[in-house]
Amino acid sequence: MSSQPILQVYDLTKRFGNLVAVNNVSFHINEGEIVGLIGPNGAGKTTLFNAITGLYTPDSGRVVFKGVDTTGLLPHKACQLGMSRTFQVAQSFTSMTVEDAVRVGAYNRCDEKTVAAKVDEVVAFCDLEDIRGQQCGDLGLAPLRRVELARALATDPDLLLLDEAGAGLTPTELAGLMDMLQRLKEDRNVTLCVVEHVMKMVMGICGRIIVLDYGEVIAEGSPDEICTNERVIEAYLGERAVR
Amino acid sequence: MRSKQRTIKTSLLLAGLAIVLLVPLLLGRNQYHMVLVTTVLLYGVLATAWNIIGGMGGQLDLAAGAYLGLGAYTAGTLLLRWNVSPWLGMIVGGLVATGFAMLVGLPLFRFGVKEVWYALSSSALVEVLRVLFQMWEEVGGPTERYLPYHVSSWYHLRFASYVPFYYILLAMLLIALFLNVRISRSKLGYYLFALGENEDAAEVLGVDARACKLRALMIYAFLVGAAGGVYACLYGFIHPNFFSSAMSTETAILGIVGGMGITYGPLVAAVLLVSFREFLRASLGGQLEGLYLAVYAVILILIALFRPQGIATFIRDAYGKAMSRLQVTGEKDVVSADSPGL
Repeated sequence: MSSQPILQVYDLTKRFGNLVAVNNVSFHINEGEIVGLIGPNGAGKTTLFNAITGLYTPDSGRVVFKGVDTTGLLPHKACQLGMSRTFQVAQSFTSMTVEDAVRVGAYNRCDEKTVAAKVDEVVAFCDLEDIRGQQCGDLGLAPLRRVELARALATDPDLLLLDEAGAGLTPTELAGLMDMLQRLKEDRNVTLCVVEHVMKMVMGICGRIIVLDYGEVIAEGSPDEICTNERVIEAYLGERAVR
Repeated sequence: MRSKQRTIKTSLLLAGLAIVLLVPLLLGRNQYHMVLVTTVLLYGVLATAWNIIGGMGGQLDLAAGAYLGLGAYTAGTLLLRWNVSPWLGMIVGGLVATGFAMLVGLPLFRFGVKEVWYALSSSALVEVLRVLFQMWEEVGGPTERYLPYHVSSWYHLRFASYVPFYYILLAMLLIALFLNVRISRSKLGYYLFALGENEDAAEVLGVDARACKLRALMIYAFLVGAAGGVYACLYGFIHPNFFSSAMSTETAILGIVGGMGITYGPLVAAVLLVSFREFLRASLGGQLEGLYLAVYAVILILIALFRPQGIATFIRDAYGKAMSRLQVTGEKDVVSADSPGL
């Protein structure tokens, strides 16, 4: 496995009026990694995602994806370069069927001739066969999250950013999701960056963890290192995690 | 089973087309009825075209009157000044409307003007153009400009009867419907539906929001502009009031009430609501001024309350039910209608 950086973020800052949501954040993600991004509510995780994927234009700093400067690039351009994401609050295409929603993503790399095959493949991978004809608006939380993942996956990303994909899932559903993400990494060579509060998932699949607090990186390291880091315990994990 | 369903669908469509083609033979004698069906068709064309930007793309466009007026003035002026046949005039009119849509759409979509703000901006266009053409003496001016009178001239597209216009608008309607079907099954259509649902989510999936909306707006403007050329000939004059806010709003209402994004929805709404409105006007108009509008408004409110997905969903549901019943009684060893790969 190569250790070439696929994403490099330099001194990224995003302000909303007087509030500095992301403050001088620098980090990198290597090809083939699963990186966890954790931190208390309001730490700036989602803002960071939005600034990386082009939904927000950062106030300063640079984002380099696969060697190309993508700072301030429109989201669809970033997606065409191979970066996609899911949202914290599932942003579904309510009145579209599951397979139509997946098809929207699939068009990123496919033309009219190949798109149907791509949809079939992704629908099978994400275990959506049974509900492919249903409307997204009729789905429960767990299948909805799988649809969102499938949509993003259909764009054939090299880097996938997942914003709290595990939130609200039952233990069984969570295990299924973790298994799916592992397969993504191993079979498809997709690099993953996950924002997550579910520690079971973060500790279970992430090779490296970055901790944000008040818009700044306060720690970075392997799950074991993070669990024992004083600042992280103080800011986020709490006393119990140490034991 | 699929093939059998398809056969039924095709025969239903063909039967519908046959009836529509025969309408003038049945009503041709009665001028009032012909005006009525021609008006219904005109609104059908406008609302079906609107479905591309509004129904699929989710942009609440209120500028149909702007594109209609531009098409009418282009075709009308070409005929009056240079004796150019409106057949060519309506194409040029469509192109002028398309060019104008591009000029307007580029900055609007570039700066992310959407939702109510897009509605208001597009609505303002109609008024701006109306005033401009009122003041522009060379082509417009505040009074009507009459097109040359002919009892029956295919070159000038002028007839003393409504029947030819009925067929011309019917052809335009079929073109608009065909375009709707083609787009809704293509990449552009899927992208527009996604944009209409959720713009942020669509963009991170690779959808170029600006380009897609602009293309949809231009296609819609072309269709409405071309219809404007026919509109001028149908009425026999051009007037700044062709830039009509009321007509623009009605186009959007038909598109919404019919069912957003359903190909035949706006047409169903046009057939039912426009004829119903005209019926009310004819029957209540004499009793109290404006009463028919009040009744019409109540009907719209009732639809919004009880069938917000659009009245075309009645037809869709009924069709689906009929098909599944057919399946149960017809063949026993088939799977459900929407199972893929059959």
